[in-house]
Amino acid sequence: MGIEDISTMKNGFIVVPFRLPDYKALPKTDEAPLHYMFAKRHQSANASECDCLFLINLPLLSNIEHMKKFVGQLCGKYDTVSHVEELLYNDEFGLHEVDLSALTSDLMSSTDVNEKRYTPRNTALLKFVDTASITNCWNALRKYSSLHAKHPEQLFEWTYTTPSFTTFINFYKPLDIDYLKEDIHTHMAIFEQREVQAREDIQSSIVDEDGFTLVVGKNTKSLNSIRKKILNKNPLSKHENRSKPISNIDKKAKKDFYRFQVRERKKLEINQLLSKFKEDQERIKVMKAKRKFNPYT
Amino acid sequence: MATTAKRRASETSDQNIAKAHKKCSTHEKTTDSGPEEHDNKSEEAKESVVSEQENDHESGMAPDDKEIAANKAAPRRNGRATATESHDIHIARETAELFKSNIFKLQIDELLEQVKLKEKHVLKVEKFLHKLYDILQDIPDWEDKTLAEVDSFFKNKIVSVPFVDPKPVPQTTNYKFNYKKPDISLIGSFALKAGIYQPNGSSIDTLLTMPKELFEKKDFLNFRCLHKRSVYLAYLTHHLSIALKKHKLDSFLQLEYSYFDNDPLLPILKIFCSKPTNDSPSEYNFYKTRFSINLVIGFPYNAFEPKKLLPNRNCIRIAQESKEVSLPATPLYNFSVLSSATHENYLKYLYKTKKQTESFIEATVLGRLWLQQRGFSSNMSHSGSLGGFGTFEFTVLMAALLNGGGVNSNKILLHGFSSYQLFKGVIKYLATMDLCHDGHLQFHSDVESSTSSASKYINEGFLTPTLFDKSTKVNILTKMTVSSYQILKEYAAETLRMLNNVVQDQFSNIFLTNVSRFDNLRYDLCYDVQLPLGKYNNLETSLASTFGSMERVKFITLENFLAHKITNVVRYALGDRIKFVQIEMVGKKSDFPITKRKVYSNTGGNHFNFDFVRLKVLVNPTECEKLVTKGPAHSETISTEAAVFKSFWGIKSSLRRFKDGSITHCCVWSTSSSEPIISSIVDFVLQKHISKKALVSDKITKQFHDFLPLPNLPSSSKTSVLNLSSFFNLKKSFDDLYKIVFQIKLPLSVKSILPVGSAFRYTSLCQPVPFAYSDPDFFQDVILEFETSPKWPDEITSLEKAKTAFLLKIQEDLRTNRPNYKSFFTRDESIPYNLEIVTLNILTPEGYGFKFRVLTERDEILYLRAIANARNELKPELENTFLKFTGKYLASIRHTRNLENISHSYQFYSPVTRLFKRWLDTHLLLGHITDELAELISIKPFVDPAPYFIPGSVENGFLKVLKFISQWNWKDDPLILDLVKPEDDIENTLETSIGAGSELDSKTMKRLSERLTLSQYKGIQMNFTNLRNSDPNGTHLQFFVASKNDPSGILYSSGIPLPIATRLTALAKVAVNLLQTHGLNQQTIDLLFTPGLKDYDFVIDLRTPVGLKPSCGILSATEFKNITNDQAPSQFPEDLNALSEKMDPTYQLVKYLNLKFKNSLILSSRKYIGVNGGEKGDRNVITGLIKPLFKETHKFRVNLDCNIKPVDDENVVLNKEAIFHEIAAFGNDMVIKFDTD
Repeated sequence: MGIEDISTMKNGFIVVPFRLPDYKALPKTDEAPLHYMFAKRHQSANASECDCLFLINLPLLSNIEHMKKFVGQLCGKYDTVSHVEELLYNDEFGLHEVDLSALTSDLMSSTDVNEKRYTPRNTALLKFVDTASITNCWNALRKYSSLHAKHPEQLFEWTYTTPSFTTFINFYKPLDIDYLKEDIHTHMAIFEQREVQAREDIQSSIVDEDGFTLVVGKNTKSLNSIRKKILNKNPLSKHENRSKPISNIDKKAKKDFYRFQVRERKKLEINQLLSKFKEDQERIKVMKAKRKFNPYT
Repeated sequence: MATTAKRRASETSDQNIAKAHKKCSTHEKTTDSGPEEHDNKSEEAKESVVSEQENDHESGMAPDDKEIAANKAAPRRNGRATATESHDIHIARETAELFKSNIFKLQIDELLEQVKLKEKHVLKVEKFLHKLYDILQDIPDWEDKTLAEVDSFFKNKIVSVPFVDPKPVPQTTNYKFNYKKPDISLIGSFALKAGIYQPNGSSIDTLLTMPKELFEKKDFLNFRCLHKRSVYLAYLTHHLSIALKKHKLDSFLQLEYSYFDNDPLLPILKIFCSKPTNDSPSEYNFYKTRFSINLVIGFPYNAFEPKKLLPNRNCIRIAQESKEVSLPATPLYNFSVLSSATHENYLKYLYKTKKQTESFIEATVLGRLWLQQRGFSSNMSHSGSLGGFGTFEFTVLMAALLNGGGVNSNKILLHGFSSYQLFKGVIKYLATMDLCHDGHLQFHSDVESSTSSASKYINEGFLTPTLFDKSTKVNILTKMTVSSYQILKEYAAETLRMLNNVVQDQFSNIFLTNVSRFDNLRYDLCYDVQLPLGKYNNLETSLASTFGSMERVKFITLENFLAHKITNVVRYALGDRIKFVQIEMVGKKSDFPITKRKVYSNTGGNHFNFDFVRLKVLVNPTECEKLVTKGPAHSETISTEAAVFKSFWGIKSSLRRFKDGSITHCCVWSTSSSEPIISSIVDFVLQKHISKKALVSDKITKQFHDFLPLPNLPSSSKTSVLNLSSFFNLKKSFDDLYKIVFQIKLPLSVKSILPVGSAFRYTSLCQPVPFAYSDPDFFQDVILEFETSPKWPDEITSLEKAKTAFLLKIQEDLRTNRPNYKSFFTRDESIPYNLEIVTLNILTPEGYGFKFRVLTERDEILYLRAIANARNELKPELENTFLKFTGKYLASIRHTRNLENISHSYQFYSPVTRLFKRWLDTHLLLGHITDELAELISIKPFVDPAPYFIPGSVENGFLKVLKFISQWNWKDDPLILDLVKPEDDIENTLETSIGAGSELDSKTMKRLSERLTLSQYKGIQMNFTNLRNSDPNGTHLQFFVASKNDPSGILYSSGIPLPIATRLTALAKVAVNLLQTHGLNQQTIDLLFTPGLKDYDFVIDLRTPVGLKPSCGILSATEFKNITNDQAPSQFPEDLNALSEKMDPTYQLVKYLNLKFKNSLILSSRKYIGVNGGEKGDRNVITGLIKPLFKETHKFRVNLDCNIKPVDDENVVLNKEAIFHEIAAFGNDMVIKFDTD
């Protein structure tokens, strides 16, 4: 079975191949290279995600316009109608994989962190306006997919968005100061408003299940600092051995008062010496096994 | 039971003697009791201890200890395990006292075990030695022969007489030659059973003492005894070769003349085996043992009056014009004659000491290894190379120190010392006592009258290394030159420091690393000097005129004379610019066939016994680039010193007046970016004083220097690599800005403005050049902190916005009040996922750029909180974000401050690091390795140089960095750096040496507090162990690089892909191998800086529309260096938007490609397009590695995250062609070529 005969993967994804444009820098290949996208109807209880196609491996820099164009082409070819609404969760460069803002505070985000929706990298949801649209599109895709084996020349050629030289140097351009000011102004206004709201929420007493009232100081802005323990999470001290802090009682007690204490201490010392010695012997064995004692290497 | 108890008792008694000795030794140092008294003491100690043991064999411990030991030993009656345990306790306790540490003792034990001679081999060679003895006994005696008769005897024989120069002539030779049966004995290490296994084989010295009746009283004069010996040797060789044939041994035994210890006055016969050809080799064939046998012909003890052969006597009488001039002393000749008569005497002396001293042999082996690893041997050092101090000299010194050695003849070593203590004692003595200029050591090797007197240190130096034997009148160190001695002393001092280091394990640095293998690693600068050969060359005539008969008797050979002269000339010329100078005559031979009279056959000519001279220098970095060589002060009547100075420097010498009004003779040199001043001085003086045609090659240094990008600054080609003024200019500009920003009125006042950019620590690849804004390092990072405030938003986006609001205020103030400062804002992407960071970039009127970012006390908490809140699969990402933040905002402050501070003491650190970064970028690694990590790796040879010295040249530092990386087994070893200044004097550390429980003065305490303490070190090591427990193969984190600034060791090195880390190691390995096999030359150095693009899966060539080299502030090598480049910007554009036109677009391209493909590909490219981007700085490459996992087919899954194509209806594979298309589309017109497979 050749690659062109595969129109559907075993787990139900339709294979959607595209022809690719030529680039003079690229070495010529015998076979025209194809890009393969994979599509499947998305099933979700979530209302915002109904009528969606789950897409894997979208071509470089794809956006909703590309998808509209493609669906348009597809429908044109197979004489059907389908309307695309938006492209969801497409995060090609993984820039939004982590929402630091939401992770540091719940002030600025409307939904709970744990309920944030996302799809794996290199995938996206294509949302259609209605069920008819997606059904039409789905059927067209099936036909298109089998085209590969019979009429490969009829496959669509994908047109990449190609950034220009200027696109890249624009990253170095100064930010517009007025825009920056405006942006900060609006953001801070919203933030302050929400903060005030949060403070009021806190000050209005919180009563927990057991009937205790949580008392909050007047300087506390939010419950972040109270609710979330961040101790011992520093990745830099991940590999450190933690020693128990010495309690006050231990500090005051004399350690060489009784004879047994002295004896115990000496015993401990000797045992330590011995275990260290044993440890050293082991280390030497390891080093020896690694031939670490050859002066002539 | 009883026997074990006894054994234990005897063991403990020995240990107690050792302890008693030790106690005495510390005692003695202050009270100076005589040796006899001491012996009695220890005798007493022994008795008392033994009697005590009769009652209780656990003695030697305090009563309390006894109790515990008894407790521990209680179950012994029941089981054996505890018995060994208490034995272990004993050893552990003892070694803690007698050795540096337990592990050190165990290491020594292992090492000694490793180098033991194989018993089988010894038996094999001994068998041959017996046979040889029998054969030698059969050689017939001879009768007195004249020289003419000798000549005719050897005329048609294969064997030649190895006469030493000058060869005797029959007309003037009126003494007789003869052969009578010698007295045969073994000498040297083999006889002492102190020999060790050496991969290149070792030699067994067999002494054949000529009978006394062959000599007359005055034969020590004028080579007479030497000539007699040469004939004796030739006669013996002749008969030996016949006898070998007779015994059918000639098929595998080979005979060769050689010079004993490279002493041209002492020819010997060397016997060695060739590889057996058939399967059943002769029983006498000892080829496999790798031994060779030296037949050394000795003179009988006291054959000549020792007094007449004292080092200051003349024993070669030559005709002289006037009687008034006394003949020069002939120390080398005298030594050669005298030492030939004392071989056996020293054997006895050492044997006796060995018998008295339990650990003598072990200490000897340690000493031998230590010397070998540093390239020292007993060979003559007068014709260059290190030498004159081998195992023999080490053991004699040790023996002498066991019998005194202090200023009051107090004992330095005691017989009960452990091998470690003996070794350390000798090293300490070598390091601290001067045996050359300030004093010398006297001792008595007389075995019979050992009680006569002890060794004594005399405060009177002879300007030559002196270890004088009063009994035989031999100066044991005659073979050693002053420069050789100085280097030995320096190594001893360094080793002493290592032995005193209780924090790091220095064992392998002391004993296992061979530092003498590669000259360019060991010495800072090496020059190969070609002296033109040929019949009519100037050198020989000019040398012949200076190498007269007086010099000949003094130096014996032309090579010795030349080596001496070059050393002196260079020493005088370079003065304190260098620490040490060492000469090597490359290609010097000391073996020659028995058919020849001497090493080189070209009779008649004054040909040298070498190919070229290698001049090796250890540089003094603080003085090496000073412009003026100061001579003596000017005076009305010219002083001798001034006259010497003037005649030495010739036209270079001039009179100068200095600021303080003094007028002195001096020479002025000019610095250059491509060569050190030392190179020009060496060139000048060798041509002036040695030969006009002397060719000094210094291309290597030049080539390395030229790899450092030349800044587009006035007279940059005349600026030394050590000159940091370009960095200082940037700092000055920053200081001005600092003051301005500090004064700005803001809602919160500025607490601190901390520079953290690499230029502030002098390590930016390109030197800071005004207006060179294309340089990726142009905008230097600065961290701005405000006074603490509880009002910072408790949410990261808002926090960043608030920070930006402050920056906006600063910007506004600058715009209105300081119109000559320009500023603008950019988004900063250095912290992953934090897309809201905005930095304020300020351009100063001086032409520098600074990038301000704000740090608040809230940041860290927020990043930590994000980790805590994140779902588990995101945690690693967020931890990485936190590390990036810490590295950029917090640790960078400490890192910059620390490195900037100590780099003033390591002058070559800045250029070495910049060269290292260039190397990394050439090999496309700098995109993956942070600046800080590169800087920390490259500081290793500076802060932790052992067993080498601190680098004193760009090439040396760079090679040491490569060497370190090539050897760094990061899987098992952390890199723990102690980022402190070097110890300026070793005096302080010496206080804490063995036995001396001296008080530490405050200065030492202060220094100690700066260094890493043992517990800190252990803590870091523990971090490493814990890390490796969770990641045993280092797949997640390879380079653990820790210092006080970052005890975690992971801050700068996390996130490096494994293939990149292994590539760095592999590249360094290849580089070091290449250099070690082919040496440093133009090709190898070029190869070093040629990227291996073939190793990648695909390579993409990029070209930018605008060349960035001029705007990066770099001058091309081809341009006229003094004319500043026209294309280089000399001001900032009016419209700051125009800045971006000269920025590197490829950087952004690669960044986004990496983001897109990070799961399946590793993409690398060059960061410094201006440096590595071809002539115009418009070229770059992207290289791609496909992660191994993605080279196979995968089951089709939703979360595969890579560009795939189906193989069948279940499996998919990476769609390379489509990826290439995507890259081509993304790079668009910048992509010019694709190389795939």
